[in-house]
Amino acid sequence: MIFTIFHILGIAMVVHAVIMLAAQSYNSVGENAGKAIALGVGAGGGAAGAGAGIGMLFGKVIEAVTRQPEMRAEISSIQWLGFALTEATFFYGLVGGFIAFFL
Amino acid sequence: MSFLSRMSRRRKIAYGILLVYVAGLIGMSFAFGVHTHRNNSFNIVSPYHLTAWVHLIGPIEIDKAVLYLLLTALITIGILWFVARRMEMRPNRIQTAVEWGYDLATRLTNDSLHGRMAKRWFPLIFTLFVFILVTNLLGYIPLPVDTAEKLHIAGFSFPSFQIYAADTNVALPLVLALIVFVSYNVEGFRRHGRGYVKTLVPAGIGGGMLLFMYPLEIVSHVLRLLSLTIRLWANLLAGHLLIDFMAGDMAVLLGLPAVGWFLLPLGVAIYVFEAVLIAGLQAFIFAILAAIYLGGAVESH
Repeated sequence: MIFTIFHILGIAMVVHAVIMLAAQSYNSVGENAGKAIALGVGAGGGAAGAGAGIGMLFGKVIEAVTRQPEMRAEISSIQWLGFALTEATFFYGLVGGFIAFFL
Repeated sequence: MSFLSRMSRRRKIAYGILLVYVAGLIGMSFAFGVHTHRNNSFNIVSPYHLTAWVHLIGPIEIDKAVLYLLLTALITIGILWFVARRMEMRPNRIQTAVEWGYDLATRLTNDSLHGRMAKRWFPLIFTLFVFILVTNLLGYIPLPVDTAEKLHIAGFSFPSFQIYAADTNVALPLVLALIVFVSYNVEGFRRHGRGYVKTLVPAGIGGGMLLFMYPLEIVSHVLRLLSLTIRLWANLLAGHLLIDFMAGDMAVLLGLPAVGWFLLPLGVAIYVFEAVLIAGLQAFIFAILAAIYLGGAVESH
């Protein structure tokens, strides 16, 4: 009688420990998954926005230079300014992703 | 084989390179296998961690970034001083390059600043341009500074080669951005006195909107500081990490030399892209934004 009670208690403790361990590992699995998704979304969303912006910018430059070829030098300087500012937003997204991943 | 003799030299070379690439890929796959051995103990950011080489007082120490900073300062001062001393009517290439940079800096200063302001702030803008350009370009020259992984040759161990730029550490872009931020705010207060804060919002806005606009404008000004820093820093760090990845880190992480061979052209392409475009562009952007912010702080609405 005592024998079975101790056995049941023992088995219950082991099962309890295993469930706690499993729950912990699932928590950390979820955390890692969340971190990976955060980094991916940060970098991917940033790249999408930057790609759209830079493509639109250069398209407009092509249109403008087609209309007025003599303004090419002036438009070129504004083009590079716009390119760098748009590209920077990709890095804001990337840095946000890194912060989500590492902090 | 008559098509071989009819091809132009350039095309032969191109096909030859392609052949070597494909053959190397196949050879590597056969020689080293296509199974990955994950190498989790390899730290990809360890070249960008700073360990002290010489401890000076307190937190001040000499390490990799300090060495690169000193090199940049020496090169900047050296080039500009020597070119200014020996100006010739028929310039050599360095003088032409410096003159072109000077011309660019004067143009972008005079677009945003006028008169006395332009004369006062041009040295800062030109210095920012040249300094950031030199420190970016220095980051693409491999130098033996990697003390984390040392080479052991004939009993001597010396640091291995790596590419490192001083502004991959956030401190340098932060300090430069702080210089610009403090400068343009000080100029704003100098011009407008206490009314500088009023110039932050456009004129002629009603009371309720003002409560909304002021915090927005102040946040956007603080964001200028952050954006200047992060733009320069993240561009350089991400570029260097990408070059590291494509030119070997991916192969080491996966334990698969075939991947290294496969990604190498991409690594070379990114290296050329970064060195030719991004290095100069980031310097230009920093300088022109400094000029724009200074001009914006003193304009009267």
